[in-house]
Amino acid sequence: MTAILAAIRLALRAIVRSKLRSSLTVLGILIGVAAVVIVVALGTGVQAQVVGQISNLGANVIFIFPQSTQTSGVRKDDVNRLTEADGRALMAEATSIANIAPFSATGAQVIAGDRNAVTQVMGVSRSYFPVRGFSVDKGQMFTESEELLKAKVVIVGETVREKLFGTGDPIGQYVRIGRYPYRVVGLLAKKGQSPFGEDQDDRVLMPIGSFRARVVPSPPGRVQQLIASATDERTVDRAVAQIDAILRQRHGIAPDQDPDFGIRTQAEFRKSSEEIVGTLTALLSSIAAVSLLVGGIGVMNIMLVSVTERTREIGIRMAIGASAADIMTQFLVEAIVLSVIGGVFGLGIGAGVIKLIGGALGWSLQLPIPAVVAAMGTSAVIGIVFGFFPARRAALMDPIVALRQE
Amino acid sequence: MKDAPPIIEFVEIHKDYVTEAVVVRALRGVNLTIRRGEFVAIIGQSGSGKSTMMNIIGCLDRPTRGKYILDGIDVGSRSNDARAIVRNHLIGFVFQGFNLLPRTTALENVELPLVYRGVAAAERRKRALASLSAVGLGARLHHTPNQLSGGQQQRVAIARALVTQPPLLLADEPTGNLDTRTSYEVLDLLQRLNREQGITIVLVTHERDIADCAGRVIEMRDGSVRRDIVNERPTDAGRALAELPVQDEHGAAS
Repeated sequence: MTAILAAIRLALRAIVRSKLRSSLTVLGILIGVAAVVIVVALGTGVQAQVVGQISNLGANVIFIFPQSTQTSGVRKDDVNRLTEADGRALMAEATSIANIAPFSATGAQVIAGDRNAVTQVMGVSRSYFPVRGFSVDKGQMFTESEELLKAKVVIVGETVREKLFGTGDPIGQYVRIGRYPYRVVGLLAKKGQSPFGEDQDDRVLMPIGSFRARVVPSPPGRVQQLIASATDERTVDRAVAQIDAILRQRHGIAPDQDPDFGIRTQAEFRKSSEEIVGTLTALLSSIAAVSLLVGGIGVMNIMLVSVTERTREIGIRMAIGASAADIMTQFLVEAIVLSVIGGVFGLGIGAGVIKLIGGALGWSLQLPIPAVVAAMGTSAVIGIVFGFFPARRAALMDPIVALRQE
Repeated sequence: MKDAPPIIEFVEIHKDYVTEAVVVRALRGVNLTIRRGEFVAIIGQSGSGKSTMMNIIGCLDRPTRGKYILDGIDVGSRSNDARAIVRNHLIGFVFQGFNLLPRTTALENVELPLVYRGVAAAERRKRALASLSAVGLGARLHHTPNQLSGGQQQRVAIARALVTQPPLLLADEPTGNLDTRTSYEVLDLLQRLNREQGITIVLVTHERDIADCAGRVIEMRDGSVRRDIVNERPTDAGRALAELPVQDEHGAAS
């Protein structure tokens, strides 16, 4: 133990003696470690952000949408056969579905007084709100009778309110969509961005009957999508199977045929996003790891120079009784100390940069503990691996030759 | 001294250096016994084999053939690590070029052999201090080699060689880089160490004057011992020093 401490002290002195050279070597490791730590922290941060946004879709959400089919090699995409009746049937028959909502949308201009905004106008049912995790912040939800009577009422999102009413209270005001005026009955609670990057507060919701009657005239009962929620996280897969079976039966599609609908779950979105972020993080981390490797080669280079420069010193030490192991330890410890200093500073700078980026993006970025451990371990290992060859070269020197060196 | 146990025994020592196609026979069957307490000078021209002999005695090199027994141990056949221990425990080295570690204080230089022996820091310091004051450098502990004169550097080197209290001191041209006065000072120190502490001294030189300070002179030529003479009346370096013309501060003779 005292021998190791003495070796560390000796190494520190040698390092301090050639300050510029040591700092540049340390810089190599520092950049590598900082890069790895930053990339891993950013990757973890993006991951958390994406997962957060996907949960934002609503709990255990399942999207059902029409899909073009191919019959005898002929692609048919004009058929949209999803209806509210499908929704009702699913609600009645699929035991693992907690709720289901019809959904149709279009982009449209909404006018209020002398202001106007282009936004998403959506026809939904009351059940849409719990399924997608929306709630009414001010005013109220449209009533069941308003739904049945295709009343001209709307609920607006925060972004739309800002555009049309500024800071004013929108409740009870009228907006015009197309030729018809609609009374604003409610304001949505803020929800933020969806995982697909759309502003979920930039929307106007109305009963789907009103939507079909006035905004996008379409056959009765027709919907663009059905959005369901499973009873539980664990029943999502069962719900998907039930939906598939029931819709096939209702649409008359044999089990070996391509269905005219598609089903996506929140878990699938989440999985694919995680895969994309994970792949990116791995790619960037490996680039950062290359810079760590280059730093390691720098350590080896400088240790080789150091050994050559100090050949005579090695000779003297051997003459007065240093064993090959003593010399080996001396240079190996020096390489490890250099690398670990780089690792510590790299970690510090990495942590600083993470804090800065986190502050700028408004994310809570964490210095990932496994990355910290890995970075420190890696820098020590780099010291050992890249210090080994130079240290061995020093240890195997012939004392007579080393002493003769000028 | 004739009855003292032998410390160095060479039995038919050969040393060949193979360089490309040429074999250089540096030592050609040397037989030699040096006893404890002797002060021996090995003299010879360059190429006579005296440096090779020095390296073998100092366990820095191995003989090609023959047996080398140091203090009763057959060291010629030992491993490198074992020979490092032998160097640390039995031998003190003094070199022509002093060979102190640069940018390292006198005290730390002297402590170094004890570091490799695993002596604790406090004990190291105590013994290094004692050794430095024994060579008259008690006041210059924290000077680095480039702050010391040649003579002072050689004294530090001697202190370093003595700090492990080895039975054998090997001095390879210790006065080669020093002027006459400083040379005699160093020789005076070596003679006193030999006389007062009974340390065996083997000194390699090519200068007859220096060799004359030893009690026994071995002359090497072409890898063999040409002459091995007991010097009945070695030069007393202390007296030679006193007889030198006195120098003033600037080193000019007055």
